[in-house]
Amino acid sequence: MELKGRVWKFGKDVDTDELFAGRFIMGGDETSTSQYQEFIARSGLSDVGHRENVPRDFVTRVEKGDIIVAEENFGIGSSRQQAAETLKFKGVQAVVADSIHRIFFRNFWNLGCPAIDLPGISAEFETGHGIVINLRQGTIKNLNTGKEFEFHLIIPSWFVDMVEAGGLIPYHKSLKS
Amino acid sequence: MTLVEKILAKKAGKKVVRPDELVEVSVDLAMIHDALGAHTIAKFRELGVEKVWDPARIIVVLDHYVPNKDIDTAKKCLNIKKFVIEQGIENYYEVGKGGIAHQVLVEKGHVLPGTTLVGVDSHTTTSGVVGAFATGIGVDEMAVVFKTGRLWERVPGTIRINVEGKLVPPIASKDLMLFILKRLGVSGALFKSLQYTGSAINQMSVESRMVLTNMAIESGATNGIIEADQKIVDFLRARTTHSFELIQSDQDAEYAETLEFHADDIKEPMVAVPPKPSNAVGVTEVEGTRIDQAFIGACTNGRMEDLRIAARILKGRKVDKFTKVIVIPASQEVFKSALAEGLMATFVEAGAVVGPPTCGPCMEAHMGILGPGEVCISTANRNFQGRVGDVTAKIYLASPATVAASALKGKISDPREFFRET
Ligand code: SF4
Repeated sequence: MELKGRVWKFGKDVDTDELFAGRFIMGGDETSTSQYQEFIARSGLSDVGHRENVPRDFVTRVEKGDIIVAEENFGIGSSRQQAAETLKFKGVQAVVADSIHRIFFRNFWNLGCPAIDLPGISAEFETGHGIVINLRQGTIKNLNTGKEFEFHLIIPSWFVDMVEAGGLIPYHKSLKS
Repeated sequence: MTLVEKILAKKAGKKVVRPDELVEVSVDLAMIHDALGAHTIAKFRELGVEKVWDPARIIVVLDHYVPNKDIDTAKKCLNIKKFVIEQGIENYYEVGKGGIAHQVLVEKGHVLPGTTLVGVDSHTTTSGVVGAFATGIGVDEMAVVFKTGRLWERVPGTIRINVEGKLVPPIASKDLMLFILKRLGVSGALFKSLQYTGSAINQMSVESRMVLTNMAIESGATNGIIEADQKIVDFLRARTTHSFELIQSDQDAEYAETLEFHADDIKEPMVAVPPKPSNAVGVTEVEGTRIDQAFIGACTNGRMEDLRIAARILKGRKVDKFTKVIVIPASQEVFKSALAEGLMATFVEAGAVVGPPTCGPCMEAHMGILGPGEVCISTANRNFQGRVGDVTAKIYLASPATVAASALKGKISDPREFFRET
């Protein structure tokens, strides 16, 4: 499975309060999918102008299929799945980082979006670079520099199938009980 | 194997597990609260399953937005209540009966040594205090746990935090934890477990230990854990009739790392400067910083010993005229005990507002939200930018003693002064 996109470079320790502020957690009716997705996409990264670890124009210019490449400790903090959902609903298809916090890591995969931790990878990318991730082969390529990197994820064997199914819930629904 | 490895091996039905191995474990307890409960239920419905795997293993606590602050929060709590009734879930804590989930799980004796607990909350790690594997997950995973009672986990290698000596009040376990985080950083324990050992931990009360397991997550850890000792056994015997097994790390257990600390290394009360819990400095470095709000509470430090030490400092005094001082007990049980001991009267007479058991100004949920540029000193666990309101507000983290001393003066203050006097 290959993911191709445009890079947004994030700094370190991007936390979940930053990705999705507490004041929006109880908003949105999670039973109505399109309304919910729109609300979550709109509410995320609301204070981005005050942050140093997120590009200021990310929220206004992010497009479907973009990929975040971040420094260490991406997604530190809360269980709030909205922190992962807001990135997905804004169009981000994958996150690659030097390291990723456990709960965010799981949440993002569960939405059908790969989260890939590979120490040192952030130094190899800048905002605007082209990136290709091959999930089954475990490779990341920078289309601007031509350099290729290998990753070895510690994930269950069914994770790539889950991504192909569109996430944990659709994957579970497709399993015969 | 270490304690956490032994628990995960047992729950996965394996003889041996190693760090970074993937296992599938059975879940002994699963917790949802009001902040993410309705979200979990919506996902569970999406799975198309009628019944949860075991209603006796699910705990539902309303804590973040109670009493409900608006129509949205009331609606979500109503959805949760309907689900609880429909599924026959006995362990339901409505407002006025429970408190903050992590406190309720421990004080009501729900979590037992050697068991597994997952919650839709990162501070689920708190329950590791009884020697359980306790960790946070998102709502999609919780929906699947509700269906299957199982969870995959990457076995965390164990970082042993060994602390010798004895903390001398007003230096408290909060100061120790901030001191530890300063060394570990906010990503020092990613996909690892923190296990606290040593004479300082052994001497600590269960309440003090909970601060350490609560804030394990702040180092990025999967969980925090302390071996159950006689203190825990006595604590649980008073709260539950369920039997449990005591598990210890093997003598030859391999630790990913051992960090040694001594209580005497902590020369003064610690304060974590915004925006990271790991930015700890000695209180004298930030003494005099003007504050707008002082908050004593949260799942970190809203227990009896926290309220007692704060009351000792506030008794017979008045808090600063321009400072909003908020005291919130972590649970109804704590509230009742504090009332009986007269602590609540002390707070109210000092000019603090006392709130009902809820998360309060620990996060931007309900009550005590900060405005632009406001400065708060708090006993909670996170001080990320925008955590408790406006993104330009600043949050300093400290022990209840330091927060109480600061409340009196309207600026960050050293609590040792009050200990010399009283
Ligand atoms: S008190 Fe704070 S950290 Fe604890 S559960 Fe509530 S919001 Fe989370």
